[in-house]
Amino acid sequence: MGSLNVAVIIKLEPDFSEGNVSYNSDGTLNRAETKSILGPHSAIASKAAFYSKVKYGARVSVGTMGPPIADFALQQAQLICDADELHLYSDRIFAGADTLATAEVLKTGMSKMEVDKIDIVFSGYRASDGETGQTGPQTAWKLGYTFLGNVIDYDVDLERQIVTAKRLITLQGFYDIIEEVEAPLPVFITVDPSYKPVFRTVLQRLAFVKYQKEAKERAQNYKKYLKVFNAQQLGVDPKFVGLPGSPTIVYKVEKIPKAKASRKAEIVDGSDPGQLRKVVARMSEVLGGMMIK
Amino acid sequence: MTTTTSEGNYRHLYVIIEHEEGKPIPVSLEMLGEARRLMNDFNKKYSSNEKVIAVVLGDNVRKLCEELLLYGADAVIYAESPELRYTRNLIDTKIISQIALDKECVAKISPDYAEQFKKPRYMFFAADNIGRHLSSTVLAELESGLASDINKLVIEDLEIKHEHKTKGQSMNYEKILEMYRPDFSGFLWTTILCLDNRNPAIEREYHPQACSIIPGVFQPLTRDATKKGIIVDYVPKLEEQDLNVKILSRKVIKSAVDFDTRKAIISFGRGIKDSPEENIKLIEGLAKQLDAEIGISLPISKKPYAIDETIISTYMITDRVIGTSGRRVMPLLYVAVGISGAMQHIAGMKESEFVIAINPDENSPIKDECDIFIKGRMEDVIPILIEELRKQKNLVMEVRK
Repeated sequence: MGSLNVAVIIKLEPDFSEGNVSYNSDGTLNRAETKSILGPHSAIASKAAFYSKVKYGARVSVGTMGPPIADFALQQAQLICDADELHLYSDRIFAGADTLATAEVLKTGMSKMEVDKIDIVFSGYRASDGETGQTGPQTAWKLGYTFLGNVIDYDVDLERQIVTAKRLITLQGFYDIIEEVEAPLPVFITVDPSYKPVFRTVLQRLAFVKYQKEAKERAQNYKKYLKVFNAQQLGVDPKFVGLPGSPTIVYKVEKIPKAKASRKAEIVDGSDPGQLRKVVARMSEVLGGMMIK
Repeated sequence: MTTTTSEGNYRHLYVIIEHEEGKPIPVSLEMLGEARRLMNDFNKKYSSNEKVIAVVLGDNVRKLCEELLLYGADAVIYAESPELRYTRNLIDTKIISQIALDKECVAKISPDYAEQFKKPRYMFFAADNIGRHLSSTVLAELESGLASDINKLVIEDLEIKHEHKTKGQSMNYEKILEMYRPDFSGFLWTTILCLDNRNPAIEREYHPQACSIIPGVFQPLTRDATKKGIIVDYVPKLEEQDLNVKILSRKVIKSAVDFDTRKAIISFGRGIKDSPEENIKLIEGLAKQLDAEIGISLPISKKPYAIDETIISTYMITDRVIGTSGRRVMPLLYVAVGISGAMQHIAGMKESEFVIAINPDENSPIKDECDIFIKGRMEDVIPILIEELRKQKNLVMEVRK
């Protein structure tokens, strides 16, 4: 039986939690006032990696591309997945990268991890700010790893070096499908937001507690596990990263013009029970004589 | 300054079709409709004859290919095999990339343009669970740019001055696809362009210009049974390891969230923020009275409140999001509670029969999208609504007795 090496790709993102997020008066995000944290989908990807640690004793590496302060996200991820190694790819020339140029950095970073080979890479299904969901699959393709998206559950057969995974697929106008697939390692998995690891055996639960404790200790001293790479240390070609390596540019950002009013609302005073009674009557009417069973 | 050396290397608009057992997913026809409109204008404007080419992978898809010609495709390139019955990222990416670079296919469709052909000019994918990933890997393979979740497209010549792309000089780019994507807030539109690097230090060509398109945004064309076109059978070149992902089973499931059969839907947004837990309980109460399903706006799916875990995992989930990045619903009654009415959200609920909004701010955009606007705080309004609904029910029960 072989050992398992997994990696997680994460992202520092605006913190959308109430009290930390700040919106401008026009409804757009106030980036200057909003704090940054480990993105929620990155956190889920970290959980999926932790599952490998608990179940298979996997070695876990975490990598991110971002500004120096992104080490905070790495620390938060380590707290979740008890990472053995943290990588930050940080260089001014990476700024402004689109997904393809980001994938180039992440692919190169994976090769610097201190293992012979990464068997599984996890990433969130999309970032909460950019929301493209492209970086994961593009990194997978550049790595030459089989890509499995929308994964809600997975298991590894270490002997056969095979992953089985359940994927959730929504087909517009049809139905949802849970597809079970099997693929040889190495694979790249993006984790569906609904992913919830289940630890079934006593041994797993014991391992869970042990590694969770370890994670806490490690995250307190996360700098011990952290390596920072600039472009030169990574050995990336400046032509393929940052703005020069990005096929796409943001040409303009504008407010979406307000659509023409599609309905003419009757305005009702919410503090007037009499008026609200009438609203309730309308509701019943609309619902066709009401929903009494 | 204009660079025209590469003109002719890039032709046509390729639309990657998604289907389930030969039946097109709606967004496939929507993309064809928009592709047709764009290329009609394009060919007129540039006096050219570039095509809308649908690309289909599957098993027994010949009928589907014929059908696509009636919905706006000039031509269809398809690859057929039992191995392609269900989509798999690795093999699909390889075949689509091969098709995109295949001169012979183009020669059969448009011989005039075949000689110089290198790559598609434009490419469309669906922004769904399959297309989002497929577009990413195909464009990684083709090494070009991709914009995701687009809901408006324009083709234009643009004067570009960019630090990297043009080394700060002003240059004319022809036939550029302007790809508009709404941001997560639904209030901003970002236009993404995919441009060749013309800066001598980093010169590089980036084609196709590609995007994934939000389902439900564009109108499909009306089926035109008189339309004719070319269908090209492509035989993919595959290696054994391309087939090593195996689909073991495939189960159709019903989402726990039922937006389709319920007559009423109540959605809530960030307006619950003063006391999220109590407010969600109020909304549950109202939903119970109306036998309604509960939906949310996109920001809520980011789990912005530190409240009871069960409430979070029940309600603050992507499955419940209504809008362009979630479900599109059309109940008889839609109640929007504490939702400001970003375009994102409106797109998902505007076809509801009757809309009631509860919001303290009369200036919020939802006012223009509802039939009754209850001006007030949900904390005050909902208890009264619940009470009135109860009374009414009791009344009916009394009468029945």
